[in-house]
Amino acid sequence: MRKYIVIYRSVLMENLQYAASVAMGFVSYFIIIYIFLKLWNSMYAEPGSLIAGYGREQMIWYVMITEMIWFGARSGAVTRQATADIRGGNIAYQMNKPYHYALYILARYTGEWSVRLPMYFVLAVAMGLVMVGPLSGFGPFAALAAVVSILLGITINGVFKLCISLFSFWIEDTNPFQWLYDKLILVIGTIFPLEIFPRAMQPFLKLTPIYTVCYGPAKLTVDFTPEKFLEILGAQLLYLAVGLGAMFLVYGKGVKKLYVNGG
Amino acid sequence: MEVINAQDLSKTFRVKRKEKGMRGSFQAIFHPQTQMIRAVDQVSFSVEEGEMLAFIGPNGAGKSTTIKMLTGILYPDGGKVEVLGLDPTRKRKQLAYQIGTVFGQKEQLWVHLTPYDNFRFFGAVYDLTDSETERRIGELSEIFDLADFINTPVRNLSLGQRIRCEIVASLIHRPRVLFLDEPTIGLDPVVKESIRSLIRQMNREFNTTIFLTSHDVGDIEKLCRRIIIVNSGQIVLDDSMEHLKKHYMGRETLEDIIMEIYQSEGKVAMDS
Repeated sequence: MRKYIVIYRSVLMENLQYAASVAMGFVSYFIIIYIFLKLWNSMYAEPGSLIAGYGREQMIWYVMITEMIWFGARSGAVTRQATADIRGGNIAYQMNKPYHYALYILARYTGEWSVRLPMYFVLAVAMGLVMVGPLSGFGPFAALAAVVSILLGITINGVFKLCISLFSFWIEDTNPFQWLYDKLILVIGTIFPLEIFPRAMQPFLKLTPIYTVCYGPAKLTVDFTPEKFLEILGAQLLYLAVGLGAMFLVYGKGVKKLYVNGG
Repeated sequence: MEVINAQDLSKTFRVKRKEKGMRGSFQAIFHPQTQMIRAVDQVSFSVEEGEMLAFIGPNGAGKSTTIKMLTGILYPDGGKVEVLGLDPTRKRKQLAYQIGTVFGQKEQLWVHLTPYDNFRFFGAVYDLTDSETERRIGELSEIFDLADFINTPVRNLSLGQRIRCEIVASLIHRPRVLFLDEPTIGLDPVVKESIRSLIRQMNREFNTTIFLTSHDVGDIEKLCRRIIIVNSGQIVLDDSMEHLKKHYMGRETLEDIIMEIYQSEGKVAMDS
């Protein structure tokens, strides 16, 4: 475990040098949140009205949390780097080190979001407090549950994106699959809570990573109940176990197919 | 003691083929064609502890593929290989603690970190304690004369400085066998000579086995006492440097001898 912590620490040192460039992404975050603020303000024209069980503040905070996860979890390690390593053969030079390549990439991913996520967290909280005001009913238990759930959600996201990248052992280009996954999370997961979708669709959406990556953490932030926390935590742990199992399986099979050319 | 033993080691790659032009591109969609390339063909050899061996051949001869099988990166299709008594593909992680690799064309250092931070990182990766790592960095920094740039980010180092750091990173865990794949590529003659002298010193002081591939005849002549030449995936010569020179007496340089052997073996296979 120590070596993965050292990998994490090294990436953290590396990424801290680029904290200023991460802050450039704040503009996109601000614009998205501003648009949704205007949208929901017009949708909630009548004070105290509810949409799919969410009040105005809850709905806007929901989008702020999901977008914070989306921007905070952006990573080159689990996507571009893993794919380029496999397709270009660089993985060969990682494999003869005494660590597991997939865990190495996850440690790098964790180092990346450890810089980005806190920065977006500060921005989200500042914008939320200024533009919407504090969330009613948000206490220390909800905060703790939200933090646990956000960290698990981001880890699950990394594991699934890495699984997609590992298919580069067999196929030339995994970008279309990354694109589909990203759009699933971005379009369906970050913008609206699952309760907005037709009732018939909801059980299917709960089976997708949306439930564990975006919906769960945001729901616990805006509408915490101990029962909901246990349900989401259980789903996240199950998803993480399945995701890690798939990751080790795909890597184990793929590495035997490795073809490294060019001397 | 034998540290490397390869028996009938073989590796075949499936390579995509495409007919020329646009028509060929469309055909490749519906009828993809592949060709089997035998990169390494029943290669057998062994290496004793402390030996300095040159494993050379023209581009595409199968040198790098062989190194990658010896270090557990590629799975052989046939034959048997043991490095330090371990099967490299089954015991890759265990073997990693005992071998070091330098691939001259690939970077293993983290370019945004300093060499010192890199060495600390590699020390932790190889499970050395902090004090062991510090001791080792001090030792190697002195041998490889790194003091002037050990705290400069790797991205700002010259190629020669970087290669010295690459070699140190590979030696941090005291490997018993060091695989060097073209370690002096792109270096000027002065830096080349200094790298060679460091490799010699390491072999002398720590009895590290050196397995070297290089197209640079100077590396081979000045470092190695034994030479294996491969061509089209097969060993065409395995001899001591001394015996080779005697056998080809009359040729002016080692380069002439090697050229003659390459040419007599004919066409080369694809680059592996």
